[in-house]
Amino acid sequence: MMVNKKQIKELLNESACTHNEQKKSSCDKPKSGATSGGCAFEGAQIALFPFADAVHLVHAPSTCLGASWETRATPSSYDGENNTYLGYSTNVTAHDVIFGGNQKLEDSIEYIATNKNPKAIFVYETCVTAMIGDDMDNIASRMEIKYGIPIVVVHAPGFVGSKNLGSRLAGEAVLDKLIGTKEPMEIHPFGINLIGEYNVTGDMWQYTPILEKIGIKVVSTLAGDGRIESIHTAHRAKLNVIVCAKSLITLCRKMEERFGIPYISVSFYGKRDTSNAIRSIVSAFKNKELSRKAEEIIAEEEEALESRLLPYREILQGKKAILNTGGNKSWSIASALQDIGIEVVATSIAKATLEDIEIAKQYVPILIKSPANEQAKLIDEHNVDILLAGGRSLYTAIKKKIAFVDVNQEKKVSYGAYGGLENLAKDVCAAVQNPVFRVVGTPAPWEVSHA
Amino acid sequence: MLKPLEVNPLKLSQPMGALLAFLGIKNCMPLMHGAQGCASFAKVFFTRHFNDPIAIQTTAVNDITAVIDGGDYSISEAVKNITSKVTPELIGLFTTGLTETKGDDIRGVASILQPQHAMVYVHTPDFEGGLESGYAKTIEAIIEQLVEPQEQIEQKITLIPHVSMTPLEVERVKEQIELFGWSVFALPDISESLDGHLGQKQGALSNNGISVAQIQELGSSHAVITIGSSVYGCGEKLCTKNQKMQHLHFDTIGGLKASDLFYGKLMSLSHVSQPHASIMRWRKRLQDALLDTHFILGGCKVVLACEPDQILSLSSILTEAGVEIKAAISPTKSDMLANIPSNHIIIGDLDDAEEFLDDHTLLITNFHGERLAKKYHNALLMRGFPNYETLGNQLKDDTLYQGSVQLLFEAANCMQAHHHI
Repeated sequence: MMVNKKQIKELLNESACTHNEQKKSSCDKPKSGATSGGCAFEGAQIALFPFADAVHLVHAPSTCLGASWETRATPSSYDGENNTYLGYSTNVTAHDVIFGGNQKLEDSIEYIATNKNPKAIFVYETCVTAMIGDDMDNIASRMEIKYGIPIVVVHAPGFVGSKNLGSRLAGEAVLDKLIGTKEPMEIHPFGINLIGEYNVTGDMWQYTPILEKIGIKVVSTLAGDGRIESIHTAHRAKLNVIVCAKSLITLCRKMEERFGIPYISVSFYGKRDTSNAIRSIVSAFKNKELSRKAEEIIAEEEEALESRLLPYREILQGKKAILNTGGNKSWSIASALQDIGIEVVATSIAKATLEDIEIAKQYVPILIKSPANEQAKLIDEHNVDILLAGGRSLYTAIKKKIAFVDVNQEKKVSYGAYGGLENLAKDVCAAVQNPVFRVVGTPAPWEVSHA
Repeated sequence: MLKPLEVNPLKLSQPMGALLAFLGIKNCMPLMHGAQGCASFAKVFFTRHFNDPIAIQTTAVNDITAVIDGGDYSISEAVKNITSKVTPELIGLFTTGLTETKGDDIRGVASILQPQHAMVYVHTPDFEGGLESGYAKTIEAIIEQLVEPQEQIEQKITLIPHVSMTPLEVERVKEQIELFGWSVFALPDISESLDGHLGQKQGALSNNGISVAQIQELGSSHAVITIGSSVYGCGEKLCTKNQKMQHLHFDTIGGLKASDLFYGKLMSLSHVSQPHASIMRWRKRLQDALLDTHFILGGCKVVLACEPDQILSLSSILTEAGVEIKAAISPTKSDMLANIPSNHIIIGDLDDAEEFLDDHTLLITNFHGERLAKKYHNALLMRGFPNYETLGNQLKDDTLYQGSVQLLFEAANCMQAHHHI
């Protein structure tokens, strides 16, 4: 299977996407000179690199991996060598472009299979190796027989589309080659798969212990703290749980058709959303005892969280904020902020899908269409205290002398679930109390007029 | 078995070098001709390294335009979309592996667009060369396509820094040359664009640097000074614009001897017998620093994994205090690597560094070295791209007398602290 036009078309016209009758913002072809997002390869990388027990071999010249390895904070509890943070690249040169990169790819796979001990090898096709037409599937299937480990070719070269599409293509590769290829020792009655959860900064570990306490078993993940062994048996889970990102919805629809596994979509940001997520998961099993246990634990967790949040609430109560970020963060972070007592005056929907806009409406009164024009005005009109945005908006906050939180920066701590909300509260409090924004905004001696 | 692949690559691509060169030009829009991911990766990479917004756009070649478009459609669309929002003084067009594999005629496209828009084009496939060559090729293209031929010279010097020089290093070297009575223009000049200053506008274009008008006039420079062997050709290129122009080249300006050579040449160029008092003062401080640090650094084993010009610069400073260069690992070939006093000169990746590391060794490399330091308990000094772990990368200085002093102290303190653990 090479880059497959039919498959890409099907992925882009996903029937399970509610927005598909109107517009396809995140799935549109990128516009020359007016594009900022990552490519399909990056999307595949995001989706699969968290498998720490597999080697990820990028068949490409130097930009693709040279600029991108060891960049995402997706921790793993795997006790072998953690391949998530390592970079394997065939380093395609002009020679390979002219004579083909097949031999180099084959040698590289042999080197990895003999010198390392991976549970699988993912081989990523990229723009150049797609253009020169290397026969990656053929090599992979021969090597797979020779070394007895799965070798999965991911056909998501950058130029086929956005990050979102790349994640989908990665999902397809996993579904075709890995899911349903082994049977588990036992089938858990309340087994789930976590789909689209990459465990960024350990987000997933904020809530998986809670799910386990309730009696739910995580059969496999795609791919936060993921293992190849468990993804083989993903077809024996009873429920697919899509976490926040929508990119893997096609995978879930196909697993429903093939294996009869229903799916739900949840968010674990903020107190209300976390509790609702747990309830959605539990109610899918229609088991009274499980639901009772879940309510008991939700109550416990919420109570414990509320008491931990008290000192922060005192500081944040009544504070007003504007949120300027993209995608599902435009509502999920808004919801989390409300949970710590902040009034979210407005949120930007400039980079959100129709679905996200619909949800954002339920949380926030004002939706900002053009942040560059509206942000400063709204800060004045509503006496806003905090601006949560990307680095480009920093100067707006300085000029208005209000606190600033960079929500797009690579974060170091998790904001996920109950524990993460405490981290968010801590960070927002630190920003609100920090004198730095006023100090920086002080005019220089030569800017003060001596009238 | 000889390693057929790269494991934990050190190599950065030609387009990324091109981007850095264009970012040192005022109100420039670097335009990467490739799939959207190339530009996105480069943008995120330098944004995290410099902690500041990075201007760049992409022609966003897709699977269809990759096959049926010769480049003219996606490039002109990109220029149209860019200029509908902002007014760049220059569009810096550079290619990637994808668009070189399909063989786009960017010169042809540029010649169609140039009447309306100032534009420089350069071929920078990422399946050839690396960061240094992409950067140097871009400077040569800028000189070739923008600088006007001249016959007269003025009291002015063009400085061409190598790609690993930080914004502060570029600024300091400019200031040093100015102390001899010259006006100095750096090409490119990242000292005002990537130095991390709070600006009113966090615009879509590079906010400062050398202007297009200043570049056009560089032909009247009395001399061009190139620092780093990777940009030697750029100096030669500029000299073709004016037969009277002199070319002063320095492979490195790190350490006492290299700095002596630099100031010595400047003195004879400027016909002065004594430099500014501050220069003489810093030389004495460097002499003292060499003596202060040699107890710790003497015999100390260092592994360098950086771009070639930076390897030479760092090793020139450290070996003067008696450091032993255990191994030097460069991502790309370079003639000057032969000048590094080490038994192990390797063209390779960070995986190749591992066999030289132990708890008595100081590793100098980018932030990826952190993982190695955890594994081998070696001391670590972070230099080069990318560095996501320490702040203030743009204001590091390892050049001339003053910068050498700072590097020596930093390295010695780093070893000292390491031994105390």
